[in-house]
Amino acid sequence: MNRTWERIIRENRETILKRWLEFGLDLFSGKMAPGTPISEALADGMGMMLDGFAEDGERCREGVSRVTRILAVHPFRPSRSLSLFPELRSILQETGGSEGDAPFCTERIEAILFEAFDLFMEHRETIYQLKVEESRSKMHMLLRSTGS
Amino acid sequence: MSKYLPKQADLIREMEEKPSPLKGDHAKQEWWEMPVEFREGNFCFPAKPEVIEELGFANPRKWAVTDDDWQLPEGWQKTLMDGMRERIKKYRSLKLYLDSCVRCGACADKCHFFLGTGDPKNMPVLRAELVRSVYRGDFPMVEKILKGFAGSRKLTKEVLREWYMYFYQCTECRRCSVFCPMGIDTAEITIMVREILQLVGLNNNWILAPVANCNRTGNHLGIEPHTFVQNVESLVDDIEELTGVAVNPTFNRKGAEILFITPSGDVFGDPGVYTMMGYMLLFEHIGLDYTISTYASEGGNFGFFTSNDMMRKLNAKMYHEAERLGVKWILGGECGHMWRVVHQYMSTMNGPANFLEEPVSPITGTKFSNAKATKMVHIAEFTADLIHNSKLKLDPKRNDHLRTTFHDSCNVARGMGMFEEPRYVLNKVCNSFHEMPENTIREQTFCCGSGSGINAEENMAMRMKGGFPRANAVQKVKEKHQVNSLVTICAIDRASLPPLMRYWNPGVSVYGLHELVGNALVMQGEKMRTEDLREDPMTGFDDKEDDVD
Repeated sequence: MNRTWERIIRENRETILKRWLEFGLDLFSGKMAPGTPISEALADGMGMMLDGFAEDGERCREGVSRVTRILAVHPFRPSRSLSLFPELRSILQETGGSEGDAPFCTERIEAILFEAFDLFMEHRETIYQLKVEESRSKMHMLLRSTGS
Repeated sequence: MSKYLPKQADLIREMEEKPSPLKGDHAKQEWWEMPVEFREGNFCFPAKPEVIEELGFANPRKWAVTDDDWQLPEGWQKTLMDGMRERIKKYRSLKLYLDSCVRCGACADKCHFFLGTGDPKNMPVLRAELVRSVYRGDFPMVEKILKGFAGSRKLTKEVLREWYMYFYQCTECRRCSVFCPMGIDTAEITIMVREILQLVGLNNNWILAPVANCNRTGNHLGIEPHTFVQNVESLVDDIEELTGVAVNPTFNRKGAEILFITPSGDVFGDPGVYTMMGYMLLFEHIGLDYTISTYASEGGNFGFFTSNDMMRKLNAKMYHEAERLGVKWILGGECGHMWRVVHQYMSTMNGPANFLEEPVSPITGTKFSNAKATKMVHIAEFTADLIHNSKLKLDPKRNDHLRTTFHDSCNVARGMGMFEEPRYVLNKVCNSFHEMPENTIREQTFCCGSGSGINAEENMAMRMKGGFPRANAVQKVKEKHQVNSLVTICAIDRASLPPLMRYWNPGVSVYGLHELVGNALVMQGEKMRTEDLREDPMTGFDDKEDDVD
């Protein structure tokens, strides 16, 4: 069945990506304009996820990581950010119709959603690590002289 | 569950009941009716009362940006309006910029904060409109009569919150001004509004604490002279350990030919200290007669982000010290806003410095006529001239472990038009250099997202958004050319780009230009070099003789 989803996504990639990206841009206050660096980066990440959707591989994971990295610095609630992923299920099932294997699609989306949650939290944690590291970098020589 | 977590009912209320732009609740309202919300990660902490008292600024108090009551002084509206009137009269540029915008929108999608946040009030045209709308309502008579029709409004506490939020979300990078057909420099508006906000005690600790330190000890960190010297000497030891060469900087030496001034981040911070090591190796290599001041121990000038008077005061120490030490001219290290202050304001603000000479390189004899007014030469120009005249023995292979790209610092690129010199130097000291996309470099360079004093840790999420367009451009060359090193000539960049890279482009490190110069210099009497100044291994130099004659 993976092959079926692979084919459905390949044949409808542009339409699926367009619809999904539009939903993603709507998350932003005042709607993020298409053609901006954020929009392009979101599209790149989403595209990677679509290309790797049918198999649980590194490409899909990298796509999820890129998309969640963008969302993690914006002031939406995590649930709002992650709503982007279940939205893909609706788009895919509408596109695939009866041809697509719905349980497989649901299973993949759930797996992606869990992965997205982990990565979103990882990115949030990185923000806090950056704050600490930056404080240390500023005091580099002082800390060095104290042997820290 | 932690008592600090919001309750589920609160979250539901926030999502369902509270109006939000995400739900289209403000779709029919005017742009200025959009609410301003301070959330963790999108603002800097205000200055501590003791810092404000030390500087003699207005309204010292303990307050938080998220407080409902900002404890503004009595008559704050009059203070602000009088302050605005005074500055409009004094600075013709401000009046011109407020009057001449035709709202064409050419600037709208040029701001890195707008591109990174999608927030309409971060469009330069709207950011300026925050203050223009008040100006329009209170000044020109016709507009005053037409009021709402002309898009004017009163100065209220809500407006003040907007000013505070958005004028501290502008890094004064001036990218918008490159695209404005009217030549409006929104950075100048930001500079003026921040100055006006100081009048009622609305400020930023990340700016004012360094200003107070610099005012007291001569550098942003408030380091005393003996500690400053100790730090530099510690770097001297590192250089000797790594290269076998003993460099000999001098401090406060009267009669030296050149006074060298660099941002204090190069003496204290990581990775700035490696750039400092590069400077000292270069000066040793050419036998430069220079000295470092422990009083003018800071090239940066956070007074620039505070008020014109404070900028002038902090800048004055450069000329004072040059005069006291009796040097011929000043050589300046890698910095961003320091160079904007030097290049655009110093000679008229604290000059003319007739006690100094028109700078001439003692090594090549080149006269830096472009620095005739300021008597201060940028180190990238100085080094480019040395290389051009074949005065440096360089082995670019020593930087073969680095695949580089170059970030034009806003103030050096747009502020003083320096594009070629750093590239010329970079191409001579390394073998792998790749430009980022054309619309993200040179005069169109994207800001690091942390300039103009908003480099505070608590503002990290906002900085990651504002820096996204720059990081996105780096990602392009990372993917296409396997770039792993982002080279820059600005101390704020050296502080702010490492976290930006770590977040958006893990695996890309940040370097100062003269750190790479220091790696590549073949020093007389050196021992075999196998590690760069960071003690990272050089490619192809393990367990074999350095193959340069």
